[in-house]
Parts: sequence; structure tokens; C-alpha cells
Amino acid sequence: MPVSSAARALEILLALSLLLQTLEYLRIRQVLTVQGLWAWPVQRTDIPPGAVQNLLDLLFGDRAMHWHLLLRLPVLLLLAWQGSNLALAVFLFASHVLMLIRWRGAFNGGSDFMTLVAISGLLLAQLVQLGGDPHLAWRAGLWYICLQSITSYFMSGWVKLMQPEWRNGQAMTIFLNAAIYGPLPMDSVLRKPWLARAGAWAFIGWECAAPLALLHPLVALVFCLIALLFHFLVFWFFGLNRFFWAWVVTFPAILACSAQRVFW
Amino acid sequence: MLEALFLLYFLVLLATLVFKSRIVTGPWLFLLRAFFPNWKFFHATGNVPHLYARWAMPKAQPTADLQWSDWIPIFPRRPRHLLHVFHNAQTNLALVQQNLVEHLAADLNHLAAGADARALVSYQLVSRLVCQSLQTQQPDCAYGQFEVRMVLDGTTGLLQEDTMMRSPVLPCR
Repeated sequence: MPVSSAARALEILLALSLLLQTLEYLRIRQVLTVQGLWAWPVQRTDIPPGAVQNLLDLLFGDRAMHWHLLLRLPVLLLLAWQGSNLALAVFLFASHVLMLIRWRGAFNGGSDFMTLVAISGLLLAQLVQLGGDPHLAWRAGLWYICLQSITSYFMSGWVKLMQPEWRNGQAMTIFLNAAIYGPLPMDSVLRKPWLARAGAWAFIGWECAAPLALLHPLVALVFCLIALLFHFLVFWFFGLNRFFWAWVVTFPAILACSAQRVFW
Repeated sequence: MLEALFLLYFLVLLATLVFKSRIVTGPWLFLLRAFFPNWKFFHATGNVPHLYARWAMPKAQPTADLQWSDWIPIFPRRPRHLLHVFHNAQTNLALVQQNLVEHLAADLNHLAAGADARALVSYQLVSRLVCQSLQTQQPDCAYGQFEVRMVLDGTTGLLQEDTMMRSPVLPCR
């Protein structure tokens, strides 16, 4: 995948991912109001007293939060429609960091972290472009995102490999039982130890081998297709829809970087 | 040269899994932890904090004892739908509430001797969660109380359950 196509695909997918996140925030915005569960007057004591706390008091007021979320909508449409620029990237970066702080560091864990990686890559590309070489700038941004994405699979795989419960397949059954959609039915095929072990080893092997995706564009494509299935299964069993989109955003970067044939 | 650098990078990553270093903490590091992801998802089974709560109606007389309900779990369970891949706001909210319980358990573990847990933001947010959940189920409830229990599950179900903390009686009105 050429760098320019990857950059455009990244912008469109990131806009879609952030749009879905923003619509979810708007849907549940009542919990962030003064009467809601996550009331800022309670949460503000997380922040050391001072100028930053006073600034956040202004930004996290009920009305300001609502307008902030509404403002994200046209910005994201602009990102999808005409692409990024420095001002837009700075706004998205600041907006995302503010939302992270508002949710005490994360609303949806890893998906917030990977979204930050994608926005940071976008911002990096825009900053390097100030030097006058858009192609180099996008290469820098895409490589940053690609490396973080590959690292996420690699670390996630190896950390599982070091756990005996993952190696014998028990961990998968335990996590599926505790998932938000309820325990597995007693007759579920996923309760079969041999299938749980096979599934665990398949995903551990695939995650640990993530760096190999950089060896060849075809390997990267197969890797991304498996990743697509993997993230859909994670959504299906654990409800983590944001993970699906947050990682899909990084696929153009993986495909573009593998096509640069750095290693062969 | 570039190949060697990449190899070195992934070897260093592996080394971080083997050699443990000191954990740096702080309020801003907690709030901005997204900048330092460890990418460890669902990595270890073990004790998981679960929230249990009970409610009581208003006292008939000031001197009467509170009549408590049974303990009920406040644990997210949601219906599944394919279209939720695009919009899953309530499920994500339920998940962040479960994360909040995990943060409270972690905060309690690190609480200094003699410190009051009620000063913790996580405690105050969980208290609000408990009262709101109880009032949803029992609109007339006046008081609530919650427990954080550490639950160890096996492949066939519960293996062990220990109560980590029990809150004072919370006014839920």
C-alpha cells in the first residue's frame, strides 16, 4: 500500500473510530453531569489543587463537556472528508487527552491507548510536515503507529505465553465465563478443554509472531485479516467494540510499512 | 543495521516481561497512563474484585433496626447484538464501572495504615454507583451498604470468595 493511500485510509478510519466513540459519549453524557455517577465535583480531587485543576473545572463543566463533544462531530467529518491538518490534529489530541482525564485515565482501556497512538501518529505526521516533506512526514507517522500496533500484539501474546493458565487453555474459559455477556452455557463447545487450548495457542502464536508481518506485504495482509477476525471475536464475546475500531485504524500503517520492504 | 535495531527492540520488550522494575506511581501518571501502555490484556487469571450491595427501607421508628435485603451482586451483564459493533454505549459504561471497582480494590490495597478509605475518589464513586444501582432496583430504598469481594473463578465456576471491605451504611437519598 503506498504511503499516500495509507495516510488517507488512516484518516478515514480514525475519523470513523472517533465518531463512534463520540456518539457513545454523547449517549451516556448524563453520567458525567453533576447529578451523574461520574460527577466532576467528586472526581476533581484526583487532580492536585492549582491552575490545572481550575482549568479542568471550566472544561469539565456540564455545558462545556457537551459542547466539546458536539464540536468533535464536524471536526471528524472534516478529517474524513478532506484530510488532516495541524490544527485539526492538535484539537483531536487535546480532546482525546481531556476525555481520558475525565474518565480517570481511560474509558475503555486499551482502545483509548491505541486511539491515542493513532492520533499521536497523525500529529507527528503534521508536525514533521512543517519541515516541508509530506512523504517523509507520513512515513514517520505511519511507522510510529505501525510499531506501536505490532508491539501491542507482540506483548499481549508473550505475556500470555508466560502464564500456565493460558498455555493449558483454562484462562480462555475463565475469561469468557466472566465476560459481560454472561457465563458460557454449560454445553458450550468453548468449554471443551482441547478447543480452549487450541484456541489459546492459535492466538498466542499469532500474536507472538506479529513482527513477522513487517517482512512482506502479503504476510502483513494475512496478519491484518486474522487480526480483523480476532478483534471481532473480542467484540462478540467481551463487548469491546471500541477495540475493534481502534486497532483497525492501525492496519493501513502496518500494510504501508510492510510494503516499504525495509527488511528484504 | 535496521534489522538489528528492530530485533534489539523486540528483545528489550521481552526482557521487560522477565525482569521486573520498580513501579512508579503518581496522580498524573494514573490519569495519563494512556501514554505508557503495557499492552497486557486478559493476561492473568486470579482474584477479581466484585461488588455486592444490600439495601434497607426507611426506619419505621428512629430507634428501630434497619431491615436489610440479601446481598446482591452489582456485576455488569448485558444483552449482545451484532450492531453493537458500531454503538455499544451502555455496555462500555458497564465495563468502565467494573473497572472502577477494580481501581477501588487496588486503592484499598495501597492504602496507608490508618488512612480513611472514604477519602478515596474511587470509594466515593463506587458509593454513588451502589446507591444508583440500588435505587434502580428498589426505588424506595433509603440506605445502602456494599462489600468488595475478591472472587477466584475456575473453569467450572467459583473457587473462592473473600470479603475485602464492607462499607459503612450509606444514605441513598
